[in-house]
Amino acid sequence: MSLPGIVKLMYRNVKVNVDPGTLIILIGLPAMYLVFFGFGFGAMIPGGGATAYLTFLTPGIMSFQCVMAGTVGGSMLWADRRWGMLAQILVGPFTRLQYLLGIMFTSLIFGLAGAFVMLLGAFAIVGASLQVTLWGALTAFGVIAIGSIFFGSLMLLISGLVKSNNAYNSIQILLIFVVNFASTVFYSFNSSLPLPIQVLFQINPLTYVANAARGGFVGSLPAASSWQIPLLIVETIVLLAMATRVYVRSEISFV
Amino acid sequence: MTLQISENEQMSPARVDMSTQQVIAVENLRHSYDGKSFALDDVTFGVKKGEVFGLLGKNGAGKTTLIKALTTLIKPTSGKLSILGLDPRRDGKEIRQRIGVVQQGESFDFATVEGNFDIYGVLWGVPTRIRQQRRDELIKSFGLQDVRKKRAFDLSGGQKRRVQVARELMHDMDVLFLDEPTTGLDVIMRRELLDSVRERARKGLTVVFTTHNLEEADYVCDRVAVVDEGKILAMDTVENLKRLYGGKKTVEVTLAGGDGQGFFDRLRIRLAGNGSELKAEGNSAVILTNDPKGTLQRIMELSQETGVQMDWLNIRKNTLEDVFISSVTKTEHE
Repeated sequence: MSLPGIVKLMYRNVKVNVDPGTLIILIGLPAMYLVFFGFGFGAMIPGGGATAYLTFLTPGIMSFQCVMAGTVGGSMLWADRRWGMLAQILVGPFTRLQYLLGIMFTSLIFGLAGAFVMLLGAFAIVGASLQVTLWGALTAFGVIAIGSIFFGSLMLLISGLVKSNNAYNSIQILLIFVVNFASTVFYSFNSSLPLPIQVLFQINPLTYVANAARGGFVGSLPAASSWQIPLLIVETIVLLAMATRVYVRSEISFV
Repeated sequence: MTLQISENEQMSPARVDMSTQQVIAVENLRHSYDGKSFALDDVTFGVKKGEVFGLLGKNGAGKTTLIKALTTLIKPTSGKLSILGLDPRRDGKEIRQRIGVVQQGESFDFATVEGNFDIYGVLWGVPTRIRQQRRDELIKSFGLQDVRKKRAFDLSGGQKRRVQVARELMHDMDVLFLDEPTTGLDVIMRRELLDSVRERARKGLTVVFTTHNLEEADYVCDRVAVVDEGKILAMDTVENLKRLYGGKKTVEVTLAGGDGQGFFDRLRIRLAGNGSELKAEGNSAVILTNDPKGTLQRIMELSQETGVQMDWLNIRKNTLEDVFISSVTKTEHE
C-alpha cells in the first residue's frame, strides 16, 4: 500500500533536515537559552531564584520552538528552490498544495518535538520543581502547534517574497531576535516598559503562545488568552492563505 | 503590447490519434511569460509510443519551456495539449504519476548518493525491496559505486548528472523527458546512456530528448524537431531531414591566412543565385550547396585572384548539424 503524498513528502523533509546543522539551530540554541539564561538570570533572583526562574522559563522556551520550527520550514522551501528539488518534486506525483502542507506539517513536527525535548531538558535540570499536569502539557503543546503553523506560514511567505539568499537569512535572524525578545518567553509583560516595546509585546503572536503555554502549566489560562488564542488562530489562517498564494505565484519563476 | 488570446484559442485537450498510439499531442501551443512575446509560438507535433523524439535548438530557443509545458510545470497560454490521452489542466497529477523528468538544472536532496536514490524511491512509492534492488542496479550500471556514500553536492559535474539521470529511473513511467541529459558526461557514459534510452524505447518507453549535441540526436532519435525562437522550423526523421536538405553537400574551407572576412564576403557574392548558404567564422567557412563542383571552382578562382592560400578544402555529405545550422540561419536571414 502506498503512503499518502503528504506523508511521503514529510518523510523526505524530516530525512533531509535531520542533520547536525538543523539540530543545533532547532534544539541547541533554545537549550542554551534555557541553561544560560535560566541559571544566569535566575542567580540574580534572591533565595534560590534559579529554580523558580527555570520553572517560569521552561514553557517560554518550549513556545520559542514554534519560531525555530517556522524558520526550518522557510529554509526547506528556500533550499528546495536553491537546489532544484522544488521543480523536481512538482513534476512528481504531488500537487502544489501537498508540497506546501508537507513543509507545514514537518514544521509542526519539529516544533512539537523540539518543545518536548525542552520539557525533558527542564525536568533534567529542575526535577520535581517543574510541576505540570497532563492537561497543562496538552494545552502547551496545542498552542505551540498553532504557533508552529503561524511561524511556518510566516517564513514560507517571506521565503516566497524574498529573492536573495542573504536577504532571506538576514530577515530570518532579525525576526528570531525581535520575536523572541519582544515576547513573554523570558520575562513577563510589564506595564512600566516603554510604550513601543509594550505594543510589540502585545502584537507579538509568540507572546500569545508563551502566555497560554505558561498558563497551561500552572493549570489556569490567563484572562488575555480568551482573545489571544482566537486571534492567533485567525492570524494563522490568514497567514497560511497568504503564504499559499505567494508560494503558488512565486514558484513559477523558480521552476 | 499585451497579447490577446481569443476565447476559442484557450487551451483545450488535443485530439489523440490512438490508432497510431500517439502519447503526446501538441497543437498550436503558445506560451508567453510576460504577455509581450511568445516563448512558444504555434508549436504542433505528436509523439508515438516507443518513439525517441528529439528537440534541437540553441540556448533560449524554447526547448525547456516546451518541456515545462509538457510536464505540467507551466500552464500554456493557449493551444491544445494532451499527454497519454490526459488533459494537463485537469489531470496534472495523474500525468505526473506516469512520466519521468530529468531537468536541465541540478536537483538534489542534501543527502548521500544512496540517500538521494532512497528518498526518491519513497517519494515515488516504490516498495522497499524493489527500491533497494533498483538503487543498487542503477548505482552499478551508472558507475557510481565509488561515490555512493558521498554527498551528492560533493560530486563532480558528470557524476552529478549521472546521479540525476539514474535516480529518475528508480520509478516506472510511460514517458521520459530528458532535458539535455548528457551535459558533462564523458564519451563512454554518454554512449551508454544513449544506448540505454534506445533500449528502453524499444521496450515501449516514449522519450522526449532535448540536446545541443546533434551527433547524439542523430544517434538516438527517431525523429527530431528543430526549434528556434519558440517555433518548430523543421521536423522529420533524421534521415528525411538530411535528404530534404540535400541533394545538398557541405563544402568546408579554411584559409591559411589573409583577410578571411573579405574573402568570404566576396565569395558569398559569387555564390549568390546558386542556392548556396555560406556561414563564415574567422578564417573558416562552411558552405551548404547544391552545386559542390561549381562552388569549388569559384573558391579556387577567388583564391588565385586574391593570392589567399587555403589550408583545408573538403566536400562532405550533410550531417544533422548542417540541417540545424541551415534551418536556424535561414530564419535569422529572413
